[in-house]
Amino acid sequence: MNWIQKKPFYFIVILLLGVLAALPWLAVSYTLTLVFFLSVYLTLALSYDIVGGYLGYMNLGHSTSFGLGAYTTAILLNHGFSLILALGLAILLAAAFAAIVSYPLFRLRGAYFALATFGLISLIEVVVTNLRDLTGGSGGISTPPGNNLLPAYYLAIVVVLGTMVFSYYLARSQFGLALFSIREDEEVSRSFGVPTSLYKCLALVISSVPASLVGGVYVWNMTYISPHSVFGLEIALSPIVMAMLGGTGTMVGPVFGAIFITLVQEFLWTKVPYFHLTMYGTVLVLLGLFMPGGLVRTQWVRPLVQRLGLGEEIEYFKKS
Amino acid sequence: MLPDLIQLLVGGILLGGIYGLAAFGLSITFGVLNVLNLAHGEFLMLGALMGYVLFTALGLNPFISAIAVIPIFIIAGIGFYLLLLKPISEKPPHQLLVASILITLGASLVIEDLTAFFWERPVTGIAYSLPSLDLAGVVVSSTRLLILLFIFFLAFSLQLYLKKTYIGKSIRGITQCLEGAKVVGIPIVLVSALTFGLGVALAASAGVFYVTLFTVTPVMGIPLSVKYMCIVVLGGLGSLVGSVVGGLILGVAESLTAYYFGAEWSPTIAFILLILILIVKPEGLFGTKE
Amino acid sequence: MTYALECKKINKTFGGLNALTDINLQVTEGEILGIIGPNGAGKTTLFNIISGALPPTKGEVFFKGRGLSGMGAPKICRLGIARTYQLVRPFHSLTALENVLVGLCFGRSDPPPREARVAEAMGILEFMGLGGRENKASESLTLVEKKHLEIARALATTPDILLLDEVVSGLTPTEMTRTIDTIRQIQTRGVTVIMIEHVLRVVMELCKRIVVLNYGVQIAEGSPRDVVSDPKVIVAYLGKPESDDKIGQVT
Repeated sequence: MNWIQKKPFYFIVILLLGVLAALPWLAVSYTLTLVFFLSVYLTLALSYDIVGGYLGYMNLGHSTSFGLGAYTTAILLNHGFSLILALGLAILLAAAFAAIVSYPLFRLRGAYFALATFGLISLIEVVVTNLRDLTGGSGGISTPPGNNLLPAYYLAIVVVLGTMVFSYYLARSQFGLALFSIREDEEVSRSFGVPTSLYKCLALVISSVPASLVGGVYVWNMTYISPHSVFGLEIALSPIVMAMLGGTGTMVGPVFGAIFITLVQEFLWTKVPYFHLTMYGTVLVLLGLFMPGGLVRTQWVRPLVQRLGLGEEIEYFKKS
Repeated sequence: MLPDLIQLLVGGILLGGIYGLAAFGLSITFGVLNVLNLAHGEFLMLGALMGYVLFTALGLNPFISAIAVIPIFIIAGIGFYLLLLKPISEKPPHQLLVASILITLGASLVIEDLTAFFWERPVTGIAYSLPSLDLAGVVVSSTRLLILLFIFFLAFSLQLYLKKTYIGKSIRGITQCLEGAKVVGIPIVLVSALTFGLGVALAASAGVFYVTLFTVTPVMGIPLSVKYMCIVVLGGLGSLVGSVVGGLILGVAESLTAYYFGAEWSPTIAFILLILILIVKPEGLFGTKE
Repeated sequence: MTYALECKKINKTFGGLNALTDINLQVTEGEILGIIGPNGAGKTTLFNIISGALPPTKGEVFFKGRGLSGMGAPKICRLGIARTYQLVRPFHSLTALENVLVGLCFGRSDPPPREARVAEAMGILEFMGLGGRENKASESLTLVEKKHLEIARALATTPDILLLDEVVSGLTPTEMTRTIDTIRQIQTRGVTVIMIEHVLRVVMELCKRIVVLNYGVQIAEGSPRDVVSDPKVIVAYLGKPESDDKIGQVT
């Protein structure tokens, strides 16, 4: 695509980044918190999609990495570890867990894999709740207080932007090509030399990194988490709904989905305090019936995305 | 010590029987639709609630309710299938997977949320006392025994139904070879819808028994669906006998775990069994490899 | 002598069904071997075993003298055995180019350097007549294009042995002639070809040697002329003269 045509796009991006950087001076802390949460959810949506969209295995248990990252960071912070060390170790733990658990889980396919990974969340939640001495049990755990909103905000922005860039390049890399081939036809992929078992495990481990990292940043900012807040239904499903609503298997899909849902939540949720789950559920059903490819593959959004050169993966999910 | 163990085992087998019945239903729907119904647990929950309502409002004992809910839920299941699942049934495998997960998960959330709303938020536990029907045995409650026998009878007659009747054979035909079934003239949509209805009706029936023994909450559906999936994998994909056996194993395992390690650990056992079978024999106890 | 490919007493059972019984095959380097037989004879199962998609119940496959038992499909591909599928299985939403790139990047023991990959993939696509179609999603290609894409993807792995599974079925006579020509060119590049085919014309033109399978058993082997006039083969395809109900498949 033409450099000159791309100019307005780059201009908008730089403008946006400038606004984000300057936001603390332009807006109230409520807005900062909103963008913070958006970043957290978007990171989760993007990292989910590496396994859910690129590899084609719907890992409904993605938030397990988030929760593990959050709890590990919290415990380490309480023992005096520095933030960087705590985050680093949290990532390692979540990655190791992903590597171990991928061995039995990837023997399942399709819906079985989805349900098994979903069950993993409750399993870990029960374990965490029962290890009362370490984790504070169902009452939750607090970390050293401090007004971390400002640095946490910037940290979250850096993480989500980094994840976006990573996701973009992954989709255009050789490894990404392998993941797509596994999604399209795993058996054939193997016959053409792709080491599927290894790559599936790698994909799961890779996707756990942004999730656990952002989990640590989350707890550092909130200074308190409970099993429910990090292993609950909301944090488990929202990022996945965002990724699917926006468009699974692409980098921009989750971005669209996250922004769309966050906006809807902001304006709708507070006005209608009931039936949140019902609305979520209905969105999921409608998506499944009419738009499993998400927003970016609809006839209105698709051309825009392709013109921006972000649309290679859009061919996936033809209307049948 | 021993009487305790027997009591535990019986309790476990009974729970397992309930699980097995529901898992049997799930196995049937999976065989025909090639789609794992994440909303299956919701139907158990709804069946349980209906059993409760029938008992408190009409004094209907659970055995009759368990039969009564079957036709009701067959119809509900048919409706669910025609409205939500038939539209996506012709999609290629990966799209079918994504769409079916979206739809059944979404349906679960809607059912849960609406039920919780009409059943007065926050969550209400419903305890249900045993109807004073039978002579009590010395160690074992004969009511529980009756329930167990009833479940086995139900499962057994279902197996017969599947093997002998036209509809039953059609279901198995579709499971084994869809194209062949079409060629032979089996009305696919009709049979699929009926199968789905049957599957969820079994779950509802199991739910009626469930509520005679345990409390029921509107949010138990999804964890139950996960459990059923574990059972189906444990027993072997595609094996109906396996689902029942898997259910029994899980029931006993949960009972034993609750007794020896504490009730808060028993939700984990389903998952541990799943991981174990995946490592040791991924195709399940009664499953076939290819 | 070391054969390019050798199957020693290959047996495959599925449950109670004997799909293959005591298959012994020797394929010399550079030849084009044909495998024919009625539907259900086990031909594709044999390909599955050779390519590593399925393990044999008994027996072993040897590639250039090296036993392949226990090796997974990825490794076997990298050693130099590639295949196409009877019912085409491209990576649907990936473009033709991406399909070939998968084979090129992962199917070789020494893939070319990054910068050269696209060019080389394009070369293979052009050789197979898919020159201008590289950026089309492979599921939107025509049947003949898809079949050629399958071959291109397999060629991208620089195979020593190419397994072609009914690669001309469904093609028009003109398309068939072109494909026959292409396969000859592939042979001149030093690739050993084993082809399952129903279309006798193709088999007669290309193969110097044919093996006939029926119900998983080797019933005949030899030159096309000999095999086609072998009474056992005729019976396998057409049934015994007096029994009308044993009509086999003949294209």
